[in-house]
This record gives sequence, C-alpha cells and structure tokens, in this order.
Amino acid sequence: MRGPRVGRKGRTRPGNFKTKFFVPRPPFDFYLCESFFPRVKPAADESAFTQAILKRNQDLIPSPQEQSSVLNLVTKVQAVLDNLAVAPGAFDACQIEEVRQVGSFKKGTMMAGQNVADIVVILKTLPTVEAIQALGNKVMEDMKQSDPLEILTMLTNEGGFEVSSADATVKILITTIPQNVRKCDPEIHLSQKILQSHLAAIRHSRWFEENAHHSSIKVLIRVLRDIRNRFEGFSSLNPWIIDLLAQYAVMNNPSRQPLPLNVALRRCFQLLAAGLFLPGSASIPDPCENGSVRVHTSLTLEEQDLVCLTAQTLLRVMAHGGYKQILGQEGNPSVAMEMSVWDGVVVSPLSKAYEKPPEKKEGEETGEEMEQEASAEEGMETQET
Amino acid sequence: MSFRKMATNNYYSFTAGGVQYGTTQPATYQTNQTATPAAGYTVQHPAAAAAAQPYAGAAAAVAVAAASRTIQTGYETYQPTTGQTTTTYPFASRQQSAYEKVQAYYPQAAQVGYSTTDTATAAYQSGITSNIVYGYSSSAAQLAGVKSKTTVTKYPHAGNSVVQSVVGKPSYSTNTAYASQRQVQKNQNLQTGAVSSYSYTGSTVGASPSTYSTYNTGNTGNYSNKTSVYGHQQQQSTQSSAAVASNNITNQQNTTSIVQTQKTHVNTWSGFKRGPVRFQKPKLPPKPEQLHYCEVCKISCAGPQTYREHLEGQKHKKKEAASKQGNNVQNPRGGTSLRCELCDVTCTGADTYAAHIRGTKHQKVVKLHTKLGKPIPSDDPVVISTASSKGSKGTDGSSVKADVASGDKKTVSVPKINFVGGTKLNTTGSQDKQEENKSEEKTEDTKIDLSKLDSKADIQPVGQDYIDEIKNDDGKIISFQCKLCECRFNDPNAKEMHMKGRRHRLQYKKKVDPELVVDIKPSLRQRKIQESTLRRQQLREEFYRRREEERWREELRLMEEEERMYWEERRRFEEEIEFMEWQRRSGRDPRGLPPIPVPPRSMFGPPPMIPPIMSSVGPPVSRPDSADDRHIMAKHSSIYPKEAELNAVQTVLTDTEKALKLVSDYLTESQSAEKKQEETVEPKKDIKETEIKKEANEEKEPSELNVTKNQEKEAQQSAPPQRVLKGVMRVGGLAKGLLLTGETSVQLVVMCAEKPTRTLLERVADNLPKQFEVVASQTNYEVKRCVEEAAIVVHAESEPAVTVTVTLTSPLMRDAKDSEGSSTESVKDPPDVLDRQKCLDALAALRHAKWFQARASGLQSCLIVIRILRDLCQRVPTWSKLNNWALELLAEKVIGSCPQPLNPGDALRRVFEAVASGVILPTGPGLLDPCEKNPTDAAAKLANQEREDITASAQHALRLISFRQIHKVLGMDLLPPPKYSRGQFNRKRRRDNNTEVNEGEGTDEKKDKKEEDAKNVEEVQEKA
Repeated sequence: MRGPRVGRKGRTRPGNFKTKFFVPRPPFDFYLCESFFPRVKPAADESAFTQAILKRNQDLIPSPQEQSSVLNLVTKVQAVLDNLAVAPGAFDACQIEEVRQVGSFKKGTMMAGQNVADIVVILKTLPTVEAIQALGNKVMEDMKQSDPLEILTMLTNEGGFEVSSADATVKILITTIPQNVRKCDPEIHLSQKILQSHLAAIRHSRWFEENAHHSSIKVLIRVLRDIRNRFEGFSSLNPWIIDLLAQYAVMNNPSRQPLPLNVALRRCFQLLAAGLFLPGSASIPDPCENGSVRVHTSLTLEEQDLVCLTAQTLLRVMAHGGYKQILGQEGNPSVAMEMSVWDGVVVSPLSKAYEKPPEKKEGEETGEEMEQEASAEEGMETQET
Repeated sequence: MSFRKMATNNYYSFTAGGVQYGTTQPATYQTNQTATPAAGYTVQHPAAAAAAQPYAGAAAAVAVAAASRTIQTGYETYQPTTGQTTTTYPFASRQQSAYEKVQAYYPQAAQVGYSTTDTATAAYQSGITSNIVYGYSSSAAQLAGVKSKTTVTKYPHAGNSVVQSVVGKPSYSTNTAYASQRQVQKNQNLQTGAVSSYSYTGSTVGASPSTYSTYNTGNTGNYSNKTSVYGHQQQQSTQSSAAVASNNITNQQNTTSIVQTQKTHVNTWSGFKRGPVRFQKPKLPPKPEQLHYCEVCKISCAGPQTYREHLEGQKHKKKEAASKQGNNVQNPRGGTSLRCELCDVTCTGADTYAAHIRGTKHQKVVKLHTKLGKPIPSDDPVVISTASSKGSKGTDGSSVKADVASGDKKTVSVPKINFVGGTKLNTTGSQDKQEENKSEEKTEDTKIDLSKLDSKADIQPVGQDYIDEIKNDDGKIISFQCKLCECRFNDPNAKEMHMKGRRHRLQYKKKVDPELVVDIKPSLRQRKIQESTLRRQQLREEFYRRREEERWREELRLMEEEERMYWEERRRFEEEIEFMEWQRRSGRDPRGLPPIPVPPRSMFGPPPMIPPIMSSVGPPVSRPDSADDRHIMAKHSSIYPKEAELNAVQTVLTDTEKALKLVSDYLTESQSAEKKQEETVEPKKDIKETEIKKEANEEKEPSELNVTKNQEKEAQQSAPPQRVLKGVMRVGGLAKGLLLTGETSVQLVVMCAEKPTRTLLERVADNLPKQFEVVASQTNYEVKRCVEEAAIVVHAESEPAVTVTVTLTSPLMRDAKDSEGSSTESVKDPPDVLDRQKCLDALAALRHAKWFQARASGLQSCLIVIRILRDLCQRVPTWSKLNNWALELLAEKVIGSCPQPLNPGDALRRVFEAVASGVILPTGPGLLDPCEKNPTDAAAKLANQEREDITASAQHALRLISFRQIHKVLGMDLLPPPKYSRGQFNRKRRRDNNTEVNEGEGTDEKKDKKEEDAKNVEEVQEKA
C-alpha cells in the first residue's frame, strides 16, 4: 500500500470536496465536435429547406396592420401607466415603481394572430387583488379620458389584467419589487410564483436584447413556436425555453458565428433528440437565474420524455425529407405520432420511455433523484408570450 | 402611642369607614386625589371659595409633612406659652362646624376628625407662629436634598412663592402654612380647611405680625430639631402610616411632651364637639346628602348600603390599589396621551379622546358632577407626555397633589385646564407672580404638547380602498368593514380612527405598502423585549463567532485530510487507468488474460482511510458507481469472455501461429533453392540476415513473438520478400481485445511476400496439419481450406471449440489496385490469385487493429462501451446491421469528442445521444473511415431504412437510460442499489437494500467482492 503522495500538493484540485454526486453532462452536440465527424460526402443542398423556413417565417410574422394596432395600444397603456408612476395623484390603491415591456412584442418575435403584448408593472406596494382591480379600473378610466371613442375592455386575471381593443390586447403583468415578493401572502396577494415569473420576464427581455438580437434567432423562434403550437408533444416548451433553445442553436458553436437557418433548425431537433432536455443533461443553464438553473427542469419528467420523443421522431422525418410537414406547409402534425413513409423508408413513432415509479419504495431508487432534479427548480415558467 | 395606633388602624380600616378618618387621609388621599376633586371641594363652598384665595396661594404645599411636623413641634412648644391658645378655640369651633359639613358627605366618617382638628389646631398654631413658614422654606430645600431629584426644581420655587407671600402679606402666609399643612394631612375636607382658614385669617390678621417676630426668635432651635425628624420621616415614605408612627417614636425620643400634645389635642377636640352643634343645621346643604359619591371611582351610589358595598367591592379596591401605585398608571404606554381629568381616563390620541368625550360614560360622569355641583373641567384634554409623566412618577403622591391643589402646574401639564376649577377661582387676584410663573411653565409645556399633537394629527388615513361599506336593504350604510384588519365598525368616526390607527397601519404596511412608516410603540415591555433580544443576539453572535473559529480550525484540519485523501484517490484512479491499460493489453497477451475485469477497487484490496465519498471527489471523472455505471459494469462482466474460453482461444492461437511459422520455414526452405536462382536481384546478404532474424524470432517465446508482431511485420514488409509467408498477425476482436464470451472464432492474417495465390493457399493448408502435429500433438486440429474467402479455417477440437480463420493477403494487392487504375500492369498477376476484396479486407482489418490500438484502446470507457455495443448488436437485430468496424469507429469518435473523460455510463449514453441526434442518418455526416485513403463511410453498407431503425432504437434507448431503465437497454435485470454506496451520506437509500434479491447472474461473485470491500471500508472508517 502506497502512502499518500505528498509531493504533488501544489496543483489545484479539480472539483470541490462537497460537490454533489450528480454532475449533469451536456449531451452530444454534433456542432460542437464537428471536427471529429468529418463529412464523408459533401452535405446535400438544402436551399429548398432554407427557403421553406423563410417562407414559413413570412407567414408567421404579423401583418403591419396588426403590428401597428398592437403598438398603438401598447403606447397608450404604457403612457397611462407611466403617468401613474410619475404622478399618482389621487390614485392610492398601489404605487407603481416601474413599467416595462416584455414578451414577444418587445422581443420582436410576435406571431401573426396573437396580437398580445405584455407589460410588466412593478408595484412598490404589495400586489393585492384589490389593488390590481383598482389599477385596472384606473387605467381604463385614464384611457377613456384620453380617447373616449375607443372601445376597450379590461379583464383581470390571475397575473394582473389585460386591456383589449378591437384587434389587440395588452397584458399587464403585475409584480412587486423583489424584496416585497417574500412578504406576499397567496391569500391576499398574487402568488409568489407569478410574481417571480413576471420579474423573470423582465430579465428575459433584457437578456434577449443583449444576446438574441440576431434575426436568425428571431426567425427560428417564430418557426419553433409555430412548431410547438402544432405538435402536441412540444406543448410544454414555454416561450422562454424556446428563446433559449433558438439562441443556443444559432449561436452556440465554436466559431460563434450564427449558423444558417436550416442548420439551426435541424440542430434544435438534434439537440432535443439527443436528450438536451432529459434528466441528467446539463441542458441550457438559465442565464437569468442564479446558480445555473437548467431550463428544462421546469418540465415534468413526463413532459421531458414527450418533448424528446417528439423531437426524435421529427428529426427522422426531417432526415428523410419531411421538413414541409414539420414546418406545417404540407400534411398534418400526425407525423409525430403516426407511422409515415418517406422514399420507401418507414419512419415509425416512438413510445414513451418514462414510467411512473410503480410505488414509492421501488421507485425510490429511480425516481428520487430525477424527481429531485425535476422539482428542484420548477416554477420559472414564464407567462409572457 | 395612641397616635400610632390610630394611624395603623386608620390605614386599614378606611374602607370600612374607619374612625380616624383624618389620619387615614395621608395614606389614601395623597395618592388618589388629583387636582379636580380638590377643586371641586373648594367650589362647592361658595363662601369658602371666596375666602380660600390665600390658601390656593400656598404653592409650596410640598413641604407639607415637614410643615405639619414642625407645626406639631411648634404646637408643642407653644403649648406652654398659653397666651394664644384662647384664640384657638373660636377657630376650632368654626372648623368643627365646617367639618360637620364634611360629615354630611361622609357619613361614615362622621365621628372622625381627630386629626382634622389636630391639624386645625396645628394650623392655627402655625398661623400664629409664622416662623414656621420660614422654617418651611428652608426645610423644603433640605427636604429636596433628601428626597427625589425631580422635585428639586419645584420645591425651591414653591418655597419662594411662600416666602414672598409671607413677606408681603403675613396674614396670607399663615394661611399658606395652613393649607400646606392640610395637604400634608391629606384631609379631604379642604373646603373646611378653607373655611376655617378664612375665619382664622380674619382673626389673626392683627395678631400674626406681632407673634411672628417673637416666635421666630424663640423657636428656631426647636424647629430645626424637628426638621431633622421630618427628613427621617420622608425617607421612610410619607404615605405610610408606619412612617408616621416612626416619626412619632422619634418625636417621643426627642420630647416626651408629644404625647401630651396629642392629649391636648384630644381635649381640644372634645371641647369642640360639645361646642359647635348649633352651627350644624344652617350649614347643611339639603341635596347632596342623598348622594354617595366615590372619589376613587367617580361614581355615585344610590344609598349608603350600595356605597358601602361599592367600597368593599373588588372594582373599587382595584382602583384604589392602582391609584396607590402612583401616577404611572395614568400613562402606561409612554408617548403622548390625552387625559380626561374628569373621568381619570387616559386616551392615546385625539381621536380616542374625542370619542371618549362623546361617549356615554363621560357624559354620565359629567352629569353626575353637575348634579353634585362639582366643577367640571373643560373638555380640553390634559396632555401627558412621557417626560412629564416621568416627573410625576418621581414625585410622590403628596407632592403631586399639593401641586394640583395649589394650582401650580408641574407634572400634569395642561395648557387650558391649568386653572382647574376651584383652583382657578381660588387664585383669582392674589398671586400675580405665581401666576406668571405658572403661565410660563404652561406655555412651555403647551409647546411640547402641541407639537406632539401635531405629529399625531399628521397621520393620514390609509387604505381607504380596503374598507367596505356594508349597507342595509335601504342602501343606508350600517357598518364598515376593514378587509385588512378584518374588523368592522358602525360609526364613520370609528372608521376614520381605525384608518389612522396603529393596528390598521401595521396591517396596511404588512399587506399593501411595506414602505409605510408606522411608528414603533416604545412600550416598556417592548423595550424590554428589544433589549433582551439585543442581548441574546449579542450572545448568539459571540457564540457563532466562537463556533466559526472552531469550524475554521476544524476545516483547516479537514482540508489537509482532504488533500491527503484526494491524492490517495488520484493514485487509485491512476491505478485504475493502469488496470484498464493492462486489461487492454491483455487482449493480446497470450498468457496473462485477466480472469474477469473486477472493478479496480478489489484489485488492491480494501483501501483504508478512504471513505466512499471519495468517489465524488478527485479527478473530474466520477468513479463508475452511478446506477448506469453499475449496470454497465455488471453487464460487462457478464459478457466478458470466461477464463476457460480465453485460455482455449489462447492455446489454439499460439499453436496455429507456431504451426504457421513452421509452415513458413518449410516453404522458405523448399523454395529457397529455386528462388535463389531466379531472383538474383536481391542481395544474398539481406536474405541471410532476415533469415537469422526469423530464426531468432522463432526461438523467442510465443508471447514475445506476438508482442513484437507489429515490428516484425514492419520488418517483414521492409525486408525483401524472401519468405513467402512473411508473418502472421491477429486482427479483429481478438487483436482489439473485444472478444465477448461465446465468441470462439478468431482471425489471423498471414502476410505473404507476393500476391497470395490459390496454390500458395493449398500448399500452406497441406503443410499445416503436419506442423500442428509437431507443435501440439495432443490437440486435434482440423484444417479446411476456403479458397473463396482467401483463408484457411483451423478448427480446434478443444473445449470450448475454437475456430481460427487464417487469411492470406499481401500489401501488393492494394498496389495492384492502384496500378490497375493507372493501367500499368507491369507486375504480372498470377493466374490463380486469391479473391482480391477478401485480401483487401484482411489488410483493412490489419489497419483497423492498428488504428484501434493507437486510438480507441487508450480512451477511457471506450472498450467497455464497445463491448456492450457489440453485445447489443448480437442481441438486437436492428443493431446487427451495424458492422463491428463502424461500431468501433462510432464509439471512438463519440467518446473521443467529449472534452473530458467519461465513465462507462456517460460514455454509453453519449453514444446513444449521438446516434439519436442522427449521426448515422442519411443526412448525417457519416462515419469517415480513417484507415482508407479515399473518404469512405465505414457504415456505407447500411440501407436508409436500417439507419432509420438504428437511430430510432438509439433514441428510445437514450430515453430509457435517462429515465433509469438502462437495464432494459442492456438486456439484464435491474440491479439492486448498492449496499455501501453513499450509504453513510444518504441514509434514505439504505432502506431498500435488503428488500431485493441479488439477481445478476454472472455478477454474484463480483458483487460479493464489492460488498466485502464496502464492508471493509466501512469498518476502517469506523475505526478511524
């Protein structure tokens, strides 16, 4: 038995003594190790695919009329809220600290037919239901004053309220300053989860401005959202995850140059298929949360399985030339769930791998860690669209 | 002595209507009596009120007890000089009559009056001997020194005023003395006193100046003597009758005549009793007789019976006791509060005060007082500030009362009420200076109070939105409900007050606006709590600091320990690597094939001092003990060839190699002659050299032959093609160390100097059996030629049966291909040359083996993963389409592309990830073969459908692995969680250890070993 080697003490120790056993590992990503996989034959010409993506994007961009109507409403609401923040006057139900636009409208990833813009209102006071109601009424009142002719409706919901005109809606997401969040009592105020998510939405839009301004990313986000809406398996992917995924797919490569759209879109599927959002994967760390929260942990295990499964099937469909079905230009979304034939190649759907642990005792070994993983940072779902 | 008795009796028997009412007064009255009642009394007697002006002027009542005492002395000394005693009598009688009136109010105390008279006489005497006033003023200073600090300021002032009055108006000054004495005695019937004083003044106006000087000179000594007595008494607390008693005793010690004095008192009193009966009737006011008013509780009783009952009742006693506690009861919370003097109620704010004033209780009291004809103070509140309350606390009851009576606002400072009732009336016109003083003080106090009031008034009502109006059916608001505080009120005023209230504001702060400032209530309790929490915090901090230090030291120690363990761990890791390396080599090692790759842990015995936690430390690669790793290792050990198999294969291979060598020798010998003649191009020297080499090699151990096979081959290639069979090499799974259990067919490649021909193959095949007999006669070897495969198949009937495929090839085959392309067919192809593709495949296999040894076998986990995948290919038809070489390439690329080394579980998962992400799909990059000049896909043979199927299978497998079902992928049973792993650190996991039966078929042995290891480790740990 050799004794401990004392001679090599000088080196820095990798890893902390107290690191937990589980260390997530990034999944296989072809574009990070392309050099290991030199192409046997040159890549096929995919300009048709690219064109299809661009075409789809064109369909998904809201029309100028839509955009202007949303912009109109947003401007008005913002003006009213700003005014309330600066000069509350007699209004004392709540005090507004800050008003910020967030969400797809702000990011420029709005989809046609979804003329919803989001504004986060940070209150200095605690967000009671009454205060929100009062704020909503006040906003309506002020807007009516400025333009008595416009027909507006106001509806409160669990996260705030929304003001709708004929063809546009502005969602006002209420939250409070961070130090107040913990003081909130779910019985009187909005739930902390909602408040946190609204605060996160602000961080998200800020991050987006800084990191995801490339238009490829925006196109990809729009296309991915459309895919998400059409394929049931992806329904658990929230806008924030899609943003991150798109940004990752376009920008995260050794050269740091944006990848072409067709490559990026396929990469999204490849990443998902390779289990980017499966338990044990390092996933994408949420840049807007402390302590490297992996984004996919907001999904349940079942959802993770479903997302991965759908992506895997679609990836194979895509590999056999079925991109039009995926983009929604041909066929229907059943390709993800049903057997399909491409050029004589039968693409069969996959079955779910995730099984609910039969009972706690049995499942303890399998379920526990994953469950922990999954439940650890749940709740950063964003509400903005 | 009797005095003393009286005192004690009175003190206790007061409520029962004690006899010595007058003496009782010091105890009771002192404390509970405030300005109002005193005033009330004076007011009640118009005559007295009119007359009592001088009495009010006696500001300095404080000295009181002192005064009374001195008076006694004065009396005592005076007694002998009988000159003035006669005057006493009229006065006394008068007083008696006045006293009668008091009796009307206090029927119970009717027979009392000893002390009253006593004081009366004393007063009278003091009136006569005005030197006492002087004495008083000086004694006041003394007293102040002896007594409390707060009073100090006041007393001098009072004293001054007294002096002034004395100097200016001697007659009044006597009165002052008298009044002060009254208060000292705590006599309730002040008006009586007033009356008497009035009469007295009337009678003494003329007399006093004369006596003044005389007495002054005569009595100073005596007085000073008594002053000391007084001081003593003060120290003992004026209020207690015991003090009086003690005083009495001291008096006795000083002068025995005190007893006499008392006696004379009694006498005088009895004399009064007889005398003044006639005065009684005309002075009786008719109505108030029916009223039974309790001063303490400020209520009236219907009759004597109820009054008595009230006096005995708990409520009264409580109030009485509370009032005895002193003034602090009045202002318990600190801060500014408003007091209703009439009801003796303290309100915390203007709003509550207003509510009180409006309230029925107050109205009742007002009504009662009006009925009684008592003065009713204005509705304006008395403001009590914390500072002033302190002052009042400092002074004792008597002094407060004296202040009140004299109208000198000291502790209870109210701007408007200052001239409270009777006091006001009394003071009219007489003492301007005093008034000035008072007003000065007042204004000061007012300022403070007003400012405080203002701050109070500043509070804006908050949370209007949270108050619901509850309306009845008619739409009339019947009540309000505050949603924040969950309370309701019927009165809009109450609502207003609630909204300004502290509780509501606190709720508002808590629930709506955390920035709202709510003033903290510095109540005594809170302060105490605060202090104690502070103290506790300090203690805690101290404690933590100390613990932190300790922890630091501990941590340092641990760090060293860790460091040590880390290197220990590193060493083990390296050993493990070495083991892997060794394992890899062993694939080619003819002798030392390892039995079963047991995990390195058991290889080196139980490592002491290394707790299992180390598995997570150290090298970036976590040790193979995740669930996936355990499954993979278990599976791996089950697919790894058994020792017997390996030995058999090894023997057969060695035999074959030896035989082939002999064949080669034979061929060389047989052909050398012919060749020599034909091929003169080659220098003989070289041939000989190579021959020597060959022979040398022959003599070497077979193992060495194998080890040096590559070099040998190189040598052969570079050497002139003298030998027909230049060498033999292992290829395929055997060479790579990838054999699985049950795989007993191995490949050898024989390099030929020239293009292998059918003739050559046949010659070799013919000769081989003969050589086998030479090499290993005991084993039965069956040699078959397989021309189309360019191979000879050797079947050994060993146990288990082993098949060796010997393929003939030559590097020239590849050259031929090239030359074909360039259409230079200079080299003549033998007509019966063997199948070219087969030969090329054999060459490729050779290259693969080389590449593999260079690249893959050094890669951590790569071998294990490839073995597992090969097993997968054998088991799952979908995967069987993937050839071995493609598989190896794939695994190597995928695992090699990961920046950090992976443990088997992660490595396998990564391979599946790669396939799942479409690496082998038609659109994927393909597997570029590194052993081919032209870009070729190692898996080129795969059809699209096969690629698709494999990908789909991998995708599913990936998800299975992710969701902890790797056993399904591996085709094995779920392993029970390890007994030891992390057991010490994660106790939760231990529970299901015993529940499951060990099921891994081939792994039992290994597991047992593992467990043993674990136990050892644990034992060692425990020892440590």
